[in-house]
Amino acid sequence: MAESTKIPTLKAAALVNPAEMATPGTLREGPRRVFVAGARRRVAVHVIERLLAAPEVDLVLGVDRGACPPALLGCDPERFIFASADLSKRREVDNLFLLDRLRERPVDTVVHLAFQGNPKGYGVESHEFNVNAARHLLDASLRHGVAKYIFLSSDAVYKIGPRTDYKVREDGELNLDPDVHPILRDTIDAEFMCRAKMDRPDCEVMVLRPSGVFGGGVLSGVNLLFESTPPVLPVGFDPMINPTSKERLGRDILLAIFLHGKGVYNVAGLTVGPLTKFLEERGIRPIRVPGPALGVVNRMQRILGMTRYHAGFHPKRLYFSLVLDDSRFERIFRANAESVLALARSPDPGP
Amino acid sequence: MFGRRRIELIKALLPDAEWERVQAYALTDAGFGTDPFGTDPDVLGLGYAVGYWLHRHYFRVVSSGHEHVPRNGAGVIVGNHSGVLPFDAIMLAVDVFRHTDPPRLMRFMVDYFVYQVPFLGVFFRSLGQMPGTRRNFDGLVEEGHVIGIFPEGAEALGKPAERRYELYPFSHGHVELAARHRVPVVPFGLVGAEEQMTLVTDLKPLARALRLPYFPITTTFPWLGPLGLLPKPVRYYVHYGEPITIDPDALRSVEVREHEVARVRDTVADLIQRGLEQRRDYEGAQS
Repeated sequence: MAESTKIPTLKAAALVNPAEMATPGTLREGPRRVFVAGARRRVAVHVIERLLAAPEVDLVLGVDRGACPPALLGCDPERFIFASADLSKRREVDNLFLLDRLRERPVDTVVHLAFQGNPKGYGVESHEFNVNAARHLLDASLRHGVAKYIFLSSDAVYKIGPRTDYKVREDGELNLDPDVHPILRDTIDAEFMCRAKMDRPDCEVMVLRPSGVFGGGVLSGVNLLFESTPPVLPVGFDPMINPTSKERLGRDILLAIFLHGKGVYNVAGLTVGPLTKFLEERGIRPIRVPGPALGVVNRMQRILGMTRYHAGFHPKRLYFSLVLDDSRFERIFRANAESVLALARSPDPGP
Repeated sequence: MFGRRRIELIKALLPDAEWERVQAYALTDAGFGTDPFGTDPDVLGLGYAVGYWLHRHYFRVVSSGHEHVPRNGAGVIVGNHSGVLPFDAIMLAVDVFRHTDPPRLMRFMVDYFVYQVPFLGVFFRSLGQMPGTRRNFDGLVEEGHVIGIFPEGAEALGKPAERRYELYPFSHGHVELAARHRVPVVPFGLVGAEEQMTLVTDLKPLARALRLPYFPITTTFPWLGPLGLLPKPVRYYVHYGEPITIDPDALRSVEVREHEVARVRDTVADLIQRGLEQRRDYEGAQS
């Protein structure tokens, strides 16, 4: 009885890590120093631009292989650094955290957007990169005292079929079929690495599973399908989807950066509807082929340069609905968007 | 253009009062005119128009006890299943829609195989019918829908002629879910569907190959081609029983759950007997 009513002493309270005490959805204190891995991705460029527009962000470190993307060349060098590094190499990852500019005030948030999810040319090298980059980036973040680590996963991790629920929550069944595309295996493995560290009191590890992302140049399945000339769909199927946009996803990532919270979250668009309605809305007319011929037609289209969509990557995607339930993210993060000053100043991108 | 033509067709098929009921049915628009479950108001209207005609002129459904169907909030409607093709489900949905005010759409927990069949899955979804998963049930209950369940399963559709009006064992899911969500179970007994087609045999190897729950050989199918799938115009008799409140202990005890399932099954059996008696009286009086 006496034990249960004991008032915590000041010393005991001081021992509790602030991350443990933080209420999910509340604003993280102080200016942000954000490490964005995979800075050449369209979504990453959008996130970096929005971060730099926020005075609460002290510094953004963009990292990728190759040169700085043209859209970021004009950014203020006092607040943005681009570094070219191979994230699959542990030493190179460590060196990024030891840059001179980060010596006095280190990075407090890491956003891992560097996952290679394009099935085109996916081989051992890409697999090694995905596995090692996910591992080294997370390990280095934990070693260097990063308070928040965000991994952008994919909705392709969910198992879909005729038994799929009308809305898939975060605890939905994952596609653990050993015959799935290696990218999906790598994505699930990277998620599991994050999940294994989610109980760390000193770092909020977060996994975001976005639905298909629309946006110019975005390499998501739904966007590549919509950019095909023409999109090819199986006869007699019209799955329900709720894709998001590059702008909305960027805003969601910003919320994840600015607000406390850890765990796995779905993020999706506002509009739920049949795939064909989204095509109709954009004035795109698909052609239909019998299901068994879909793979061959898609391959022909790819050879002829008519599409970059890879039907074999997620074969059931065009047959069965996959609507993400992001009510948890909505409740914890989007509902508190007004507390994030950077977002309050910019208009809502909508669906 | 096609949508306009479809609306004209619905209007032509339905009496004015029924057209108004279709118009009165409120769907939550999730963005493209469909609700989050994929229900399309145009397809629903067309489906109701065809179903209404079948309900009134083809199967000439006689029903009673509509007052037991919840007027608002969620409920589970449970009963017998038969007839080779699920015309019983269509007639029930139309019956509930016709006799509730404001109209209520029954959402059935449908067997998964339907959603693997081209066009059929999309059609069922557009009518607001969902694959039978627990999450789908939860979602429908949370949004206050009336849910239809055939606890005998799709296998009961392929019931042989010698087992007419014999109930197959009931699955426990409906009792468990109703107890968890504290929603009433409304039992019904349907008479007539068993006679609409006579099953001669079930080609199980072919059914397995086609991933169907059964492959029927009836007295008319496949001998008359697709026309052989047309049911006989038998009259349906539907009786809805008083709502059954499921003991919440069904969630904790297998014995209680079995008892509750048996209670629902016995009530359905009684309602079927009532329907059979009514049919005897009705058809006796007519002859």
